[in-house]
Amino acid sequence: MTDATNSTFAVRRPLAGARIPSPARAARRPAPGRRYIGIILPLGLLAVWSLATYYVLVPAVFLPSPLATVKAFAAMVTRQSLHLDFLRSINIVSQAFVYGSVAAVVLGVAAGLSANVERFFGPTFDSIRHIPGVAWLPLIVLWLGLGAPAQILVIAKSVFFPVFLNTLQGIRNVEKSHIELAKVLTLTRSQLIRRVVIPSAVPSIMVSLRYAAGVAWALVVTAEGLSGQEGLGYLIFRAQNLLITDQLIVCMVIIGLVGFAIDRLMLLLQRFVLRWKQGFEG
Amino acid sequence: MTQRGTLEIRGVEKHYDVDGRPLKILDHIDIDVDAGEFVSIVGPSGCGKSTILRLVVGLDDDYSGSIRLDGEPIKGTSLDRGIVFQDHRLLPWLTLEQNIGLSLENSRLGTDEKKRTIAEHIALVGLRGFEKVYPYQLSGGMAQRAAIARGLVNRPEILLLDEPLGALDALTRLRLQEELLSIWRIEKTTMILVTHDVDEAIYLSDRVLVMTANPGRIVKEITVDLPHQRDRGSPAFAGIKREILREMGDYAVHVAAA
Repeated sequence: MTDATNSTFAVRRPLAGARIPSPARAARRPAPGRRYIGIILPLGLLAVWSLATYYVLVPAVFLPSPLATVKAFAAMVTRQSLHLDFLRSINIVSQAFVYGSVAAVVLGVAAGLSANVERFFGPTFDSIRHIPGVAWLPLIVLWLGLGAPAQILVIAKSVFFPVFLNTLQGIRNVEKSHIELAKVLTLTRSQLIRRVVIPSAVPSIMVSLRYAAGVAWALVVTAEGLSGQEGLGYLIFRAQNLLITDQLIVCMVIIGLVGFAIDRLMLLLQRFVLRWKQGFEG
Repeated sequence: MTQRGTLEIRGVEKHYDVDGRPLKILDHIDIDVDAGEFVSIVGPSGCGKSTILRLVVGLDDDYSGSIRLDGEPIKGTSLDRGIVFQDHRLLPWLTLEQNIGLSLENSRLGTDEKKRTIAEHIALVGLRGFEKVYPYQLSGGMAQRAAIARGLVNRPEILLLDEPLGALDALTRLRLQEELLSIWRIEKTTMILVTHDVDEAIYLSDRVLVMTANPGRIVKEITVDLPHQRDRGSPAFAGIKREILREMGDYAVHVAAA
């Protein structure tokens, strides 16, 4: 062996044996100070909200003050067990997300691998997909009654389609050169699927899961509001009927913050699963 | 036991259908490669030199004529025949170690033996310390070394090199040529290199086959009878180069003069 093999000239980061810092990860870390840019706008809105209520530009029944909202929040937690409704909504969404996405990935992979499976499901799925979840709800409530099962089914349906379509597309987009490589390495069909085809589809599956998680959380509000006696969605519609606007806003803020948290969690998951992808930023 | 890794290509022809008319891609190709020999095929782009490798590796069985390895007609792909492509083709979701290990997925080695031979081949191509690295973190030269290790790890009887250094910068290419030679000496694998770099072919090979296009055929076989380390600036080297370029036709002479 020549000494050339041990030289580091071809090495982008001359750290033989050391952990190579990922350029993507380094780029993700913004300069100190800049990472807080995203807080400016919410703080500004909060200021506008405070001023508008302080000078009574809007009647309190339409827009209660931030302080009144915080008080309402405290009251809802202590006297109305808000946390139970909150956990109830989380529980519904989690179940629906897991059922919908697992079914979508399984069927998406099957349809991606077999044109016959795709032809079998294609027309049915493409029709069902265009009937919105909310339009399904009345019929499903007739069958299953008000409550969790109907809500879970409707949300799972809305999770299913984006994930199914992206899984199918991801499987179809596997690179020809990678299939050729698998052939050269004499991989069997099942090895090809496990080692080449499914990993190729993972990026588009992850993107659709993140999207579907957001859709599911947004839909739980509608589903609970239309067909239940508990959960954040129910509380919002009840607050509107009873004109307790501060409680309404409490629910909205919680829904927004949870949605934000779900999105960031999915992004972290995506980054971890796709850590092999160069410069992947989500 | 006879030495394994002897390739015999007899009367191979290949056609493509272009607008319903057959277009001849390869015209009566005869090639013999002895066990442990290093043979290069040079020629202008489009002469079908890479097609020959695709036939030998078994990715394409739509041809007439016969291809035999150690006297046995080849059938489909096989772990006896390895290939290194111009693009490294490492799977981006596998670490370097896992990529090389993919070659051994269907080998009969035990787990410990697999681990050992993977480690050996990572060391052979000078990538020790990069086992857990993903392909996007490797430079072009490192990725190509990893691809070479993947091609060799199952100890194929013959390794086909399809312009493996073509996409690299000049300096990296010279280094890797050196490494290919030392790897070849260590592993004693039969090698067929397809390249459009005449210097590379002369520097590495025992024999150089010159092809021309339309239809792709072998027009000359030149034995490189120079001792290693070969001096790219020597008169003997230049003489062989001139001979090859002349065989490649007017086109190549102009390029050489430019």
